[in-house]
Amino acid sequence: MRLLAFLARRIYQSIFVLLGLSVLIFIIARILPGDPARTALGARAPQWVVERLREDMHLNDPVPVQYVYWLRGALGGDFGISLVTRRDVANDIIEFFPASFELVLLAGIISGVAGIGLGTLSARHKDTWVDNVVRILSYMGVVTPAFVFAIILLLIFGLALGWLPAIGRLSDGIPAPPTVTGLMTVDALLAGQLATFWDALKHLIMPAVALALGALSQEARITRATMADNLSKDYIATARSLGIPERIVMGRFLLKPSLIPTVSILGLDFAGSFSNAFLVELIFNWPGLSRYGMNAMLRKDLNAISAVILVLGVIFITVNIVVDLVVGGLDPRIRLRAARSE
Amino acid sequence: MNKRLPFLALAVLWIAACAPAPTEVVPTPGKGETPVGAETPSAEPSLLRITFAWPLYVDPAVGSDYVGSTALANLYDTLIFPNAEGGMDLYLAESWDVSDDGLTYTFHLRSGATFHDGSEVLASDVVYSYNRLHTIGEGYAYLISGVTDVSAPDDTTVVFTLEQPSGLFVPSLVRLYIVNEDLVRANTNAEGPYGDEGDYGKEWLLTHDAGSGPYTVIEFRLEEYALLEKFEGWWNAAAFASNAADQVKFIGTTEAVTVRTLISTGELEISDQWQSVEAFQALDKIDGVEIMVFPTMSSFYYMVNNRIPPTDDVHCRRAMSWAFDYQAAVALEWPGTQQMVGPVPATLGGHDPNVFTFHRDLDQARAELAQCAYADELDKYPVQIDWVSEVPAEEKFALLFQANMAEIGIPVEVVSVPWLTVVENTAKQETSPHIVTIYVSSALPEAGLMIKDRYHSSTAPTWQQNEWLLDPELDAAIEDALATVDEEARFAKYLDLQATIMDMAPSLFLYDQLEQHAVVDYVDWTPEANSAVMGYQLFLPWIGVNR
Repeated sequence: MRLLAFLARRIYQSIFVLLGLSVLIFIIARILPGDPARTALGARAPQWVVERLREDMHLNDPVPVQYVYWLRGALGGDFGISLVTRRDVANDIIEFFPASFELVLLAGIISGVAGIGLGTLSARHKDTWVDNVVRILSYMGVVTPAFVFAIILLLIFGLALGWLPAIGRLSDGIPAPPTVTGLMTVDALLAGQLATFWDALKHLIMPAVALALGALSQEARITRATMADNLSKDYIATARSLGIPERIVMGRFLLKPSLIPTVSILGLDFAGSFSNAFLVELIFNWPGLSRYGMNAMLRKDLNAISAVILVLGVIFITVNIVVDLVVGGLDPRIRLRAARSE
Repeated sequence: MNKRLPFLALAVLWIAACAPAPTEVVPTPGKGETPVGAETPSAEPSLLRITFAWPLYVDPAVGSDYVGSTALANLYDTLIFPNAEGGMDLYLAESWDVSDDGLTYTFHLRSGATFHDGSEVLASDVVYSYNRLHTIGEGYAYLISGVTDVSAPDDTTVVFTLEQPSGLFVPSLVRLYIVNEDLVRANTNAEGPYGDEGDYGKEWLLTHDAGSGPYTVIEFRLEEYALLEKFEGWWNAAAFASNAADQVKFIGTTEAVTVRTLISTGELEISDQWQSVEAFQALDKIDGVEIMVFPTMSSFYYMVNNRIPPTDDVHCRRAMSWAFDYQAAVALEWPGTQQMVGPVPATLGGHDPNVFTFHRDLDQARAELAQCAYADELDKYPVQIDWVSEVPAEEKFALLFQANMAEIGIPVEVVSVPWLTVVENTAKQETSPHIVTIYVSSALPEAGLMIKDRYHSSTAPTWQQNEWLLDPELDAAIEDALATVDEEARFAKYLDLQATIMDMAPSLFLYDQLEQHAVVDYVDWTPEANSAVMGYQLFLPWIGVNR
């Protein structure tokens, strides 16, 4: 029951957050320079065509009125027409979101597993050469933007070695599976198309690794710092003095509580990857939501901008709720505090 | 659980993914490689892959940029076809007549032409295509103007009636792409902004074609690629090169590193034209890749505001025109680039190769500057030059201009401005800067249209004209030239217009733009044999693939 109450409270709060976000982005998108209708139709389109589009989009109305029109549509799942793709924005999001989700999911798995692994390794070998190597690599990973990793990976594994395909989600001549989830690898497995699964996986690796390396480095540093800090605490010394095997001390007593900040960062990295992936998606010609959103901003595609930001907001909120639940599962004190505050 | 397991799993995943593909997968072969698992390579359709700047609109009433124009030229047929000499050949039209008053054009269609679904191309389809384009008003609709009526008295005759005579009417029909009326109607949403016509099939035509051209769309992934297939039933199938590609893939990327990787690994045959000079130089070094260069109908202008001091004085403008180092500017571009001769690109019909053109001469510049009303107070009027921030290459030209003007004492401020702000600023006289640097392309191969786009009062509130000439005499002369149906007489008027404009020195005319593409050596492509009209250089039936 407590869990349900917690979820209900968070979802209730989220409505106001999303509402505020939508107002903010709606206003920001409209104060950017340039007439969206003219931008969409081109400089040589007759003025009457531009005016017709402005009327269709209610652009001649005051901004609050425009917002009411937009909100009314958005509540019914209608985000309007994209000025770039000329389709329903909702359809665009349904088409582009799975590609980003698949990419970010694999990146999240890679960064989580490898980040925690490297952090643990570093903490266990604190102040040795292993720790120093991981530290240097982590610093490099944190300060290097994902698109730089993307270019390096592309040049090594795509160009020099030719091991991995450079662009898209499938190679020429590989049949796409019937769309069920929109995740190419999953749909290929569901359809029993192993060759397609293999090819889709190969296409995923470079962009996912490029996206994961920054987050991985950050998570490794945080895991290492928390574990090193907890290592010096009395309860670890007590556990060791009681003769509890080191494997159990490290795994159960040390790693579990040390993961709390890492899980929080992992969640933020995961959600942030949706918005940060646009250059990676651009380099690998990945038809994802992040690239779609960035193109929308560059071309002042108002409806698409608002919808993408709203979707990203929902992702952030959902991930934060999940992170809170996981953290509560890892640390009973947090659960108790939350219960008392109710 | 073993803590090493995740690492082990990742390592296995990585190695497995990097391993050669199973034999049932047929990957794209690299150069000189045999396709894995393909026992009979000859059975594979030949594939031509080209990168483009996205988005791609294949609806003939919507598309008008480079990639859209290229797709439309290959998916649809037109009544006439642009040739390499800047003229027009008959195409779907077997012949055409014009009435003595120049107001009625009658086109006679050839018989036997069919759409991709096998149905015959009829005169009623031409009427529907015109009405659809005109009603939607987007894409190239602005080009085909002044038509008061279109009718189809029978299945092979189309009659256009014009409001007034126009020398550009016939050339403009190169942008009237004929759609399959029945197919579009069958895929039209009843709800839409066009009354009884619903959405006029716009949604469906986003990812499908309804044409009769040499290629047809078989797959379209928004934001990623479009796959076209050769249409064997094309009425002009004899025009296909013997090795014309069975399939053509338009890939939506222009990222330099991606393009370089694709072309190096044999996954791309022709690059886009949007690569930087440095990127093309790198592509040129790849074995089996050459850079193909050909002229376009586009030029690089410094649009000078003729309405604010000090550039409202013609002597100041002439001083700037004499002081600019055109050869240094040309040297910043790809080898072969030429300074503009006159106010329009040299590829356009009616261009005057002998018109007066400025060159760098500092003595002449100082002499002109001495006559400028602001000669003694230039410091009060620093000249602001805006370059488009999305095109970083423009900055070096702006800096060159700043250095050149410093030599004659004109202070210059260089400002980087986003394109959308340029569009907004140039829409109003009071916000237009002294100079804005822009590439302008002509939609038709005629000097008259470019002159109208650049200097007629109707384009003053657009990005196409920062000059704000607003000269009624010039407007009348332009309109008179464009209304002249006889080509020889029309072109003679274009020569006069070019001389008049050069005398006014309203702009700095930098260079005619070349178009470059990196092309692999197993592709047969001779762009110079094609029309310079945008989209027709890449007329796919004439491009061969020897692999």
